[in-house]
Amino acid sequence: MSSGCPSSTGSPPRSAGPPADLDDLFAEEAIARPYATFARLRERDPVHWNEKFGLWVVTGYDPVVWILRHHELFSSGVIRGVEGAPYPPVLPEDAPLFDEVRTFRADQLVEQDRPEHLEQRKTVHSFFTPTAMEGWRPFVRRAVDELLDELWPRGRMNVVTDLAAPLPVRIIARMMGVPREDMDTLRGLADSILHLNRGEPDRLRPLTEGIRGIVEYAGPFVEERIRNPGDDLISALAQGENDGVFTRHQVLVNTGLMLFAGHETTMNLICNGLRAFIEHPAQWDRLRADPDRFARTATEECLRFDPPVKSTQRIVAREAELGGKTLSPGERIRWIIAAANRDPSVFEDPDRFDIGRQPNPHLSFGSGIHYCLGVALARIEGQEVFRGLARRFQRFALETDELRYQPSIQFRSIESMPVAWSVPG
Amino acid sequence: MVRIEVDHGLCVGNAMCVATAPRVFAHNENRQSTVVDAGGDPAVLVLEAAANCPVSAIRVLDAETGRTLFPCEP
Repeated sequence: MSSGCPSSTGSPPRSAGPPADLDDLFAEEAIARPYATFARLRERDPVHWNEKFGLWVVTGYDPVVWILRHHELFSSGVIRGVEGAPYPPVLPEDAPLFDEVRTFRADQLVEQDRPEHLEQRKTVHSFFTPTAMEGWRPFVRRAVDELLDELWPRGRMNVVTDLAAPLPVRIIARMMGVPREDMDTLRGLADSILHLNRGEPDRLRPLTEGIRGIVEYAGPFVEERIRNPGDDLISALAQGENDGVFTRHQVLVNTGLMLFAGHETTMNLICNGLRAFIEHPAQWDRLRADPDRFARTATEECLRFDPPVKSTQRIVAREAELGGKTLSPGERIRWIIAAANRDPSVFEDPDRFDIGRQPNPHLSFGSGIHYCLGVALARIEGQEVFRGLARRFQRFALETDELRYQPSIQFRSIESMPVAWSVPG
Repeated sequence: MVRIEVDHGLCVGNAMCVATAPRVFAHNENRQSTVVDAGGDPAVLVLEAAANCPVSAIRVLDAETGRTLFPCEP
């Protein structure tokens, strides 16, 4: 079957692509300043065959939406269905650990296609609806207040480790219904699992420790809640086993997924958003003048302007036509959210950071059947953090000359973000 | 009988509504949700679909009185 994209550009096929330097997705320039790199690619070849990595790279807004909404043409089984060594490379002695990582990730909800995906998503979908999540807003606000009240008198913090990392874990742990005294254990595990996104050659060891740790930690909770379900998130997943939708391994893996999926992404929303505000002081002043009014649209603009997830991938399942190119089954396809969100055919003056922007149909949560499960929670977390910061802090100063990013094509993650502010008296 | 409105400025084609009330909702050519038959499934399923929409794009009204059934008025 072949399907046409409404936004076909009629550009010439594979060979006439941009120069090879735009193909190096891990080049220092592409990691540090992805927007300039991907804008050039979007202008020249919005559906591009990347020779260096042997995959399609899609940067135009319309083709990305088209891919996201045609799930039957593109499989999400990018780990389970495809052989290959980890990239960036890992220590040779750690290579056997990769199979363990693959087995873990292959059972994640995000790796599934229909019909399994729908049945699995239904188990947790109602937990995360906008209405259900609004019930959590007071708890999120309190968690933000507690953290910021503690940080404020210090006059400085590392945004990554002092604010962005602890907050989402504190919230998801409460949703999972695990005891408060386990918070340090869970944070340790969550931090280990963050190595999924790292580029260091020795990352597989801490990562597998995190994976084994969460499976071991969650085991007794799952066991107990299969028999005595509550209204928490682990109970919702465990009910999936009772209903024959999940195996035990899938319940445990997806408990880990819930811990991870909202962790790195929310961290990036907080860090990247705060960076945008530091670099656009007029927009920061605008938020400070009326945090209740702007918290919502400001969070959307942070998500659009410097998205937590830069890009996502699929495997072509059925032949498809896109942008005048033919995509063949088995080929890997990656779309760049960071490029689509700056497409001038959709966003007026796309490189301007404007916290009042409306409408703002960014693709930072995806679209279609895999649309971010935690979207409502992520929005509330972002809104409450930016609101809480704007109410307390007058001005932040970056205490470093250069912000470095994890060498990842998927995540836009600042490694370390020291900031300072003046505390009167 | 209910009247159903889908906001296409919000709809992301998540298709949870199509899965929940398949005789009421279907995808159009943009893969966004449209109402094919408001009475195709029991109203309780329509309300469930509206409540489960990840972007709150679905509004349900009483067709006779015009009263909003979802989202619930505070």
